[in-house]
Amino acid sequence: MLRKKTCIAMLLAGGQGSRLGILTKNVAKPAIPFGGKYRIIDFPLSNCTNSGIDTVGVLTQYQPLELNAYIGSGAPWDLDISNGGVFVLPPYQKATSLEWYKGTANAIYQNMAFIEQYNPDYVLILSGDHIYKMDYNAMLDFHIRNGADATIAVREVPWEDTSRFGIMNTDSAGKIVEFEEKPKNAKSNKASMGVYIFTWEKLRYYLTEDEADKKSSNDFGKNIIPNMLNDKQVLYAYDFVGYWKDVGTIESLWEANMDLLESPMPIDMHDKKWRIFAKNPGMPPHYIADGATVTDSLITEGCEVYGKVNHSILFAGVIIEEGANVEYSVIMPGSVIRRGAVVRRSILAENATVSAGAIVGEKEGNIAVVGQGVNVPAGASVSAGQQVDENTEF
Amino acid sequence: MKDVMGIIYTGENDALLRELTIIRAIAALPVAGRFRVIDFLVSSMVNAGIRNIGVIMQKNYHSLMDHLGSGKEWDLHGKINGLHILPPFLTRENVGLYPGSLDALRSNNDYLTRSKQELIVLSNSTIIYNAHLDEMISFYQNTGADITLLYTRDPSMRRDEYGTYLSVDESGNVKDLEVQPTHPTYENTFMQVLVIKREFLRDMVDKAVAHGFHSLDRDLLLRLVQEKQAKVNAYEYKGMCWNIDSVQSYFRFNLDILDPEKRKGLFREDLPVFTKVRDEMPTYYGDHCKTINSMLADGCQIEGTVENSILFRGVKIAPNAYVKNCIIMQDGQVQEGAYLENCILDKQAVIKRNARLIGPEAYPIVIAKNVVI
Repeated sequence: MLRKKTCIAMLLAGGQGSRLGILTKNVAKPAIPFGGKYRIIDFPLSNCTNSGIDTVGVLTQYQPLELNAYIGSGAPWDLDISNGGVFVLPPYQKATSLEWYKGTANAIYQNMAFIEQYNPDYVLILSGDHIYKMDYNAMLDFHIRNGADATIAVREVPWEDTSRFGIMNTDSAGKIVEFEEKPKNAKSNKASMGVYIFTWEKLRYYLTEDEADKKSSNDFGKNIIPNMLNDKQVLYAYDFVGYWKDVGTIESLWEANMDLLESPMPIDMHDKKWRIFAKNPGMPPHYIADGATVTDSLITEGCEVYGKVNHSILFAGVIIEEGANVEYSVIMPGSVIRRGAVVRRSILAENATVSAGAIVGEKEGNIAVVGQGVNVPAGASVSAGQQVDENTEF
Repeated sequence: MKDVMGIIYTGENDALLRELTIIRAIAALPVAGRFRVIDFLVSSMVNAGIRNIGVIMQKNYHSLMDHLGSGKEWDLHGKINGLHILPPFLTRENVGLYPGSLDALRSNNDYLTRSKQELIVLSNSTIIYNAHLDEMISFYQNTGADITLLYTRDPSMRRDEYGTYLSVDESGNVKDLEVQPTHPTYENTFMQVLVIKREFLRDMVDKAVAHGFHSLDRDLLLRLVQEKQAKVNAYEYKGMCWNIDSVQSYFRFNLDILDPEKRKGLFREDLPVFTKVRDEMPTYYGDHCKTINSMLADGCQIEGTVENSILFRGVKIAPNAYVKNCIIMQDGQVQEGAYLENCILDKQAVIKRNARLIGPEAYPIVIAKNVVI
């Protein structure tokens, strides 16, 4: 028998993230490298650790190998503990059924037995799609203080964007009176962040009801939340203030990386009280050679820079050879930019190579992407917005 | 390498390291931007498959204990084996301060007895190396030696009046040793790393201490070789190594690894060096900064100029500040307009606006931990 937990977290990490194109061809979105030394999932996991939530189930389905290997024992986030910790939860065969996760709510439904082991009072639902720092414990206090059945984290979005989000209409105390999915004429600009706290007893009831409804799409936003509102359950909106960025598309992933180069940084990554933890590859410090130029950039361990780097982010072990020029780009771990190559407004996935004299990306236009392990041959060019993988002919 | 354990002795003389070792053992000295001396030793052992490592502590061992923790970073937090921290303790026979490494080993006889491995790799902690110890162990096993010593021909490792030097014949047998000679005549420097059977070591240590001996090199190895009581041979280490026994050699080591060839010799892909992780974000380079031939760890913020220098984690160089030939440890700060040349800044040192500190290259200035200038 495991000891009771007040609150445990369930992190939805099973989506394909198809809008990220070739970047998610072999890896799940939460495992995508971000910000020089992190992966997207480091943000929700570190938020959990920093919020005092020590039990996290990570629901995986799409391309889980790299994500599983990355999470490992959970040690980088101090989640390698004996009563709790981090657990990877893929779909599994049960006595009467065998199915994939059909939707976000179904994924949690299929893991009710996992949650029951800890007999929690509350369950926090997270996703692995966003870059943000958030104290979930403050949200839990808010939930308990209001005696809510569910609390939904919201943030104010520009009014012109409201038609792209799930919008919460609340009274002055923050109680949700109406939920509108992508409204044409919004009454509020409070958009759901996909971060929910449920009183477990209630969630268990609604998940079971939802599963019985064959017409349901088994989704939190489309089914569970509207059903609870219809039943006059107590739902509150919790106002989140701070940096929050969806990194679901190539452009937004690039932008979120570039945000780290702003001064002052919109998300404080130097905050010693709220560190973002990551698995460390154990490389020596990076090296900037005589003759190299590095400006307005973030560079991490294991990099060697002999060429020119401006307004870019270099991940672990990246090599920029003499005469190479990198600007406004995100270069993921182990990639090499050879002599005289030019990389502009691009994302290079892990272990990509840009051979001598090749040109990737352009000064203007969409972001160019070079896939994992792809070699852009000498003298070749990749135009703005183009995505190249191992099948691309140059 | 299930049948091999490691012991690291960290009680060496550190008088020549001045302020750098007031607060810590040599083994705990920060080096190469993000490591401590002991990281290289422990990683070499772990990379050879050694899973039981004892670290004998002597003076100022708090920072060393803090760094090693449970041994998690080296995968040494297992249930069966793992990392064993062996601080000095007082008993009737043991006054807590070891006159030599033999006394230290004698005091930790319990640990030696309790361990189950047949072989021991014994290492001191002033020499930085990254060796394939598994190859040395195979050499020991294949040659049927009682003791195998690791040595280097690197002339920069020789010191007048310090160290032990070996005469080795073609088949690797040690013919003679010179211990702390005024001028070494043998070209092979003993790297203070050896392989020995656990029971043999226990027996030897017991006898030696009972006869009032303290020094492993002079009282044990030299006697065994001269009196032909044991088969002692030597294995050559051909990689890069540095003896960190003075401020000058500490300074030289750090600046040496700015050379890409030397750096590659120490940081090898097949032999990763593990250390305690601090979870700093990558280093930020500002719009007008300039960086020349330097190595920087994560978490730094660079707005000024950095030349031929090593910056540890979390160092801040303000606009118009200039550091040249400097080693700046964790969280050091150099404020606007300051100029530093040939300086070693210990952790959290702060150099205020427009300060100028220029040390001679042969005798760098050492700024102690937490000092504000």
